[in-house]
Amino acid sequence: MEAKGIKKNTAIWIIAVLVLFVLSIILGIIMRLNQGGAVHLDPGTFYADMTIHGITMIGIWFVAGMAGVNFIMERYVKTSYRANTFALVMTVIGVVMLWVSTLIGDFHAGWTFLYPLPFKIAWSAWATPMFLWALAVLGVGWLVWVLSLMTALLKKYSISQVFAWQHFRNKNPEVETPPFILISMISLLGVLACLIAAVVLLVLLFAEYYSHGAFVNDALLIKNLTYFFGHTIANEMLYLGLAIIYELFPEISGRPKWKTTWYVAIAWNLTLFFVLLAFFHHLYMDFVQPEGLQIVGQLASYLASLPSAGVTVFSVIVAVYRTKIKWSLSNLLFFIGIAGWVIGGVGAVIDATISNNFLLHNTLWVPAHFHSYNAMGNVLFSLGFFHWFSVEYSKRKGPERLSSLKLSFLLLGGIGFLAAFYVAGAESVPRRYSSYPVEFTSAKLLATLGAVFATVYLIAIFLFVSSIFKRCINMVLHRS
Amino acid sequence: MQYALLLLFLVLAAVIALVFIIVYLSSKKSDDELKGMANPLQKRFWFLLILFVCLGIFALITIPRSPYYLFAKEQPAKVVHVAAGQFFFTMSYKAINPDKPEGEMTIELPANQLVEFRVTSLDVNHGFAIYSPSKQIVAQTQAMPGYVNLLRWKFEEPGTYTVHCLEYCGMAHQVMQTTFTVK
Amino acid sequence: MHKYGLTSFLIFVCSFLVDAVAQPAAGWQETNINEVIYNAPLQIISGDHVSMHQLAAQNPLVVAFVFTRCSGICAPLIIQLKESLQFAPNIGNKKYNVLVISFDPRDSVKDMENMATRFNLQHEGNWKFAVTDSISRLISSVNFNPVWYEQTLQFDHDALLVGVNSQGFVTKKLLGLRNSKDIGLLINSINNVFSPTYRLPGQSNLFSCYNYNPKTGKNTPGLGMLFIALPAILSFSILIIIRLVSKSKSA
Repeated sequence: MEAKGIKKNTAIWIIAVLVLFVLSIILGIIMRLNQGGAVHLDPGTFYADMTIHGITMIGIWFVAGMAGVNFIMERYVKTSYRANTFALVMTVIGVVMLWVSTLIGDFHAGWTFLYPLPFKIAWSAWATPMFLWALAVLGVGWLVWVLSLMTALLKKYSISQVFAWQHFRNKNPEVETPPFILISMISLLGVLACLIAAVVLLVLLFAEYYSHGAFVNDALLIKNLTYFFGHTIANEMLYLGLAIIYELFPEISGRPKWKTTWYVAIAWNLTLFFVLLAFFHHLYMDFVQPEGLQIVGQLASYLASLPSAGVTVFSVIVAVYRTKIKWSLSNLLFFIGIAGWVIGGVGAVIDATISNNFLLHNTLWVPAHFHSYNAMGNVLFSLGFFHWFSVEYSKRKGPERLSSLKLSFLLLGGIGFLAAFYVAGAESVPRRYSSYPVEFTSAKLLATLGAVFATVYLIAIFLFVSSIFKRCINMVLHRS
Repeated sequence: MQYALLLLFLVLAAVIALVFIIVYLSSKKSDDELKGMANPLQKRFWFLLILFVCLGIFALITIPRSPYYLFAKEQPAKVVHVAAGQFFFTMSYKAINPDKPEGEMTIELPANQLVEFRVTSLDVNHGFAIYSPSKQIVAQTQAMPGYVNLLRWKFEEPGTYTVHCLEYCGMAHQVMQTTFTVK
Repeated sequence: MHKYGLTSFLIFVCSFLVDAVAQPAAGWQETNINEVIYNAPLQIISGDHVSMHQLAAQNPLVVAFVFTRCSGICAPLIIQLKESLQFAPNIGNKKYNVLVISFDPRDSVKDMENMATRFNLQHEGNWKFAVTDSISRLISSVNFNPVWYEQTLQFDHDALLVGVNSQGFVTKKLLGLRNSKDIGLLINSINNVFSPTYRLPGQSNLFSCYNYNPKTGKNTPGLGMLFIALPAILSFSILIIIRLVSKSKSA
């Protein structure tokens, strides 16, 4: 019963994610059109749009990764249906509150709600507490989910097994830790840390809000906590996607299962550590942060990418090179997603270098690189999973149509949309501007081009989503 | 500099794309079921080592060029106090009273001499990014309430420089700017 | 010695109260930075006649403004400065002279000599007690504005320390009674040690991430830093607890 429940919940997660994804892309395109001058939004509306676009995208791809990991984890351990459902309900409530606070309450402090901006109220007074409470609701739902999945794993595996420590020395240990379990655990622990950071952050913000200014926060501390939470969750959601790839890529390709080796174990264990220090790179331009931490930020950013990206990318390349593979839409999406992720990673490493960040910080280079490994990376990981899931478990089977058309649209739209960001970043065009001062001569044109290509990307997504969507709706409606 | 970084990025992106395409095509061509590794999670040591060394060299070159060490041993020829607020920059050669921020109408700075900006914020976080006359960022720091950030720079090119806010600060963030001249 | 310790303890406590109650405006302290201090001719109690810039050229200066008949903040200012400089040993290898200068035209060299004796500082080589005949130009060059009250025969004035580097430039000003951290920052600044940032006074720093440590010249983690480390520590603790609980349940 429980396994079936989780299957159904997974279908509901997918439906919710896809609906919100399409809506958020549309919000994104509206932003680029506004920057290009094709539509004219009031700046407050633009920034509310920007806030909701950011927080929704982070939220949905995080839960998409979690839902996928939860579903696959059922193969190894028994997970809690109730925790999954609780997270689902809390997510729905949280998202509704977020959309109400931004779209109706006009809250527009950005999805990072960098203190003290949320308290300089330039919107409905209730929107600030509504936004913060929405985050609290999401946080509670996700904390419960993460803790329940961790518990499920730790019931079966000891701490040293779940982190694959027995693989460090022994080539063929008695108990093998599948890579999926290892990476899931590493990611879940990272997610737990950033959710706790969010709790600390929210407590401090609530303390100031409800004490009416008697308690005042330190801007530097809050900025550190904000990016501990914000950066880490954005980073961990990618790893959740990777856990799924390690499990499904060989399976879908008709190849033998991948097995944990000593350096895979070490690499991912190191990632757990470095990823928690990488967020310092968001504070490079705050010279108030001690230099030591800035250097740690640069090194940790490099090192966090090294094991996970280095190991994963090379493994996928070797797995495919001159190997006969059953190519399907799912593993093609995984394969392209990995490429997009690495290319975004190169952009990230360039920007995570302090002396480059001096020139690129908060220009469009930043959305350029994170859209690379989200829109052309993580999203494709999750879409690959969604597609596999919907085909595997639906009764409506049949050949996938128009695959190459969908993929060409996706690549064309994605690359064009990202190129507009990268070029604008190199031209020093600032991010988070509702419209551009006239001196930025190329910015408007690039924004319009970005909007056009993003529309092509949206069409591709729409084509993908509609078939997945139909199958998942069927799964939810038809009792089996 | 920014264009050099863009070029570096494009070259690396192209190489990565090419590798993925070649690998994909090689798989398409392969017809032998038995070829390929049983467990691809093996023998990546050399690849990791090379990557590690490359990143290490990159770090060694770039870290000493971080802005915190710029001109630290010299004395500034000119000091400019900057107070950022929603949605303005106040700049003055004299200290700025936070209760009554008043700045100079025009700021003129000497070319090729060390200038120190002492940047703070009166309300929320702001950015302080200096754009050259050709609209490229030359230097930046953040303006954080309660803290003063010291940004040191030598302007080589004379002309009008624009300062834009680069940390999202609310409704009129996009119009928050000021200018100064370098002679 | 005991008595001395008690006094300094009281001053230490007072300084916190002063800090908490009467924080000076942040902007005021920022005036005159990087401006040249007026090159006043000084008459030092040792009998030397030097100018301000000559004295600064020997060693960078911490200038304290007092008057000998002061019944207010002057004595605490001097004692606390002396304490801070003594008990923060690692700033000892940085060069500095303390110039205690009277801004009261009635004060003579003899008065200043008595004052030095009162604080037991007459033989300290790097403490210079002095008067000048161009006090008004000197104090206006650092924006120091004492107000004379006829009824009390006292000046109403701020406690002010001005840091002057060996080129005669004002590098930093400290307003109010300040702790040894701030004194350390001042000594560093007159030695042209570049510190890319500092906190403004008047902010609550209960939960700040870093505190400036004058011993090392670096920022050290404050209570706020704990908040940043907390999530990671808690996560690992939770991990271990979950495992222990689930193990004991299954056993």
